[in-house]
Amino acid sequence: MKFKKVGIALFVFILAGVVIFTQILIRQEEKANTREIYYIGNQVVSLIALYSINDFKGDKRDFIIKTLMAYNFYQSLVYCFISDQNGTPVVSLTPGNIGIEIPNYIQTKSLAAMGLTRQPFKTMESGDKIYEFAKPIFENGEKAGTVRIGLKLPLISIISMQRVSLLAMLSFFIISAAAIVYYGFLHALKPLERFSGNISNRAGGSAAVSNNAAKNFNLAPMIQSFENAMVQFEKRFVKIETNNKELASRISVLRFKKNQVIHILNSINFGIIIIDIQDNVGHINDYMLNLLNMERPDVVDHPLEEILQYPEILSFVSHHNRLENLKANGHVDMVFPDLALGETFRISCVHLTDGDHGVIGKIILFNNVTGEKVAEKATLEFSAHLSHELITPLTTIKSYSEMLMDGEIEDHETRKEFYNTINSETARLSRLIKDLLNLSKIQMGSMSLNKNLVKFDSFFKDCLAAVEGVARKKNISIQMSLPDNPPSLVGDKDQLEGAVINILSNAVKYTPEKGRIDFELKEENNMVVFDIKDTGYGMSREDMSHIFDKFYRSNNPQISEQQGVGLGLAITSEIIYLHEGEIEVESELGHGTHFTVKIPKGEYYLGK
Amino acid sequence: MENNSKVLVIDDEAPIRRVLELKLKNRGFQVLLAENGQAGLDIIKTQKPDVVISDINMPIMDGRTLCEKSNGLKKNGSFLTIIITARINPEDLDWVVEMQDTVFMEKPFSPSRVVDAIDQYIGDQG
Repeated sequence: MKFKKVGIALFVFILAGVVIFTQILIRQEEKANTREIYYIGNQVVSLIALYSINDFKGDKRDFIIKTLMAYNFYQSLVYCFISDQNGTPVVSLTPGNIGIEIPNYIQTKSLAAMGLTRQPFKTMESGDKIYEFAKPIFENGEKAGTVRIGLKLPLISIISMQRVSLLAMLSFFIISAAAIVYYGFLHALKPLERFSGNISNRAGGSAAVSNNAAKNFNLAPMIQSFENAMVQFEKRFVKIETNNKELASRISVLRFKKNQVIHILNSINFGIIIIDIQDNVGHINDYMLNLLNMERPDVVDHPLEEILQYPEILSFVSHHNRLENLKANGHVDMVFPDLALGETFRISCVHLTDGDHGVIGKIILFNNVTGEKVAEKATLEFSAHLSHELITPLTTIKSYSEMLMDGEIEDHETRKEFYNTINSETARLSRLIKDLLNLSKIQMGSMSLNKNLVKFDSFFKDCLAAVEGVARKKNISIQMSLPDNPPSLVGDKDQLEGAVINILSNAVKYTPEKGRIDFELKEENNMVVFDIKDTGYGMSREDMSHIFDKFYRSNNPQISEQQGVGLGLAITSEIIYLHEGEIEVESELGHGTHFTVKIPKGEYYLGK
Repeated sequence: MENNSKVLVIDDEAPIRRVLELKLKNRGFQVLLAENGQAGLDIIKTQKPDVVISDINMPIMDGRTLCEKSNGLKKNGSFLTIIITARINPEDLDWVVEMQDTVFMEKPFSPSRVVDAIDQYIGDQG
């Protein structure tokens, strides 16, 4: 009777086990299939989207279709539609051969999407679960079409070899385990049965029986083993508790680390967007939120295409494959006139992997490279200008000497003119090189001033002597004004002289014939002041803002027709700054220019 | 060599104008001179030269603008344009291929080569 009940209970137990186990197996298989479908779908749709839309119209069409059909996913591929930007189908494949109706909302979303989309739906007739994967095809940074594929989850048959053998194994183990437990239990209860028998006998007051029983049954070892077991349990319990605490502290450390990572991401001064494999935003840092002028809840978990409506970026991110992680030039430079006017951002992309080999998303970086772009442009302009300035006198020297060598110049006077030109162009070249060396010395901070007491009576004369010749030729009068007691200062006489001569010779150069230049020296607030005023062509506002730039030459023909490379004032201003002085300029087009240079007198000790 | 061809030299650097003027005159060409693109364009319109030699970096109107403007005039009778430039970057000269009968030479140039290019063009024209 007893055995019958146990048998029925066992049978019901096994049956329930089989049912539950089968369900678990089916679920797991379904999950595995779904994962595989996700993987295949993402890969295939991304692969097809790499082709150009014209490839599907031209010669490559058959090859691409054949290659698609040859893949293993053939059995799960229900349809593949490729349409151009207007929605006109280019390729329609239905290897699944099922007349399924795709719900309109699925198609609409897929066609409108700017990134990878995945949408599940069930067919009306058979109830099959289909996943539609869609991705836009980009061409030249613009969406040119869409590829959509439908994959069906394979049917799971309840009776499969794997499942039957697993069930058989499971049943065998359950029955064996039940048998072992049952007999083991009965065996273990035997001493206790005897023990309880003894106790009841003792209660009955039969000392003889009790003595007899005590002889047969010793209680001490059993209690001892119970106690041992209890100690073991307690130890285990303590261990589990310790493990729990350890785990809890590890979790809080991890949480702290996660927060730290978020803090780090937020304090970085470039934009970061992390997207998952379906192009949904998983994380965005503060910099990027500021740049986009958006709030975090409006961004996180939203599709990338909603956040960044720039086809160039979406196309770049979508085309970016893992191999490009290794390429240095895997980036796109962009300006966002609506977000940050005049700023250039370099957008790069890195694949996010789960540490194994699976791609779980992408990190998109937005680095502001405006400064680098400006510097790059300035360097390019500088070298272009420099080569131009070097090549111009070289060209004259080469062509003139070639003419002389070829005996093309027979006339004595012309020959003399040619030699003179070669000579003056060589001087121009050497002046330019000297200026360049000076400039690089100043910029590298290696220009040292040979400071000494500079007396201005002789200084004044030297400056004048340097420009007098040209001024006389152009009939320009130079009016000098020097105080009765000329000031002196501590500085580098040669450098200061060079600076003042530069301003003076500019005044002579850019003043028309019969003009006038006023050159005044005075002392003001412990500073020596040079005032150089001319009645020349003057400068426009645009020119004024660039006069101290290297190689800047005005577009004004009156100025640009004069020889010069545009280094003089750049060097002059540097020399003045090295003397801790100031240079000011006032000018108006057609009304002359007025330079004021102020140099602190400095202290000079006799015998120093 | 007697030659009635008219050559226009456009350069803002006087020494370059001078050397080309002498070289071309020695070869019997009739030489016209201009200091910038605008002055050059005016001469092209009025004097109709057979050859134009031009620099690129010039005030008022640069050589590229001059070429683009004078290219339209070539419909009624083409002429050779020789661009002489110190530009190092060849990509800066991509536009030259768009121009009719236009070649470029790099500075520092050889005056003899300039004359060779003209002779060849005139020879080809028959």
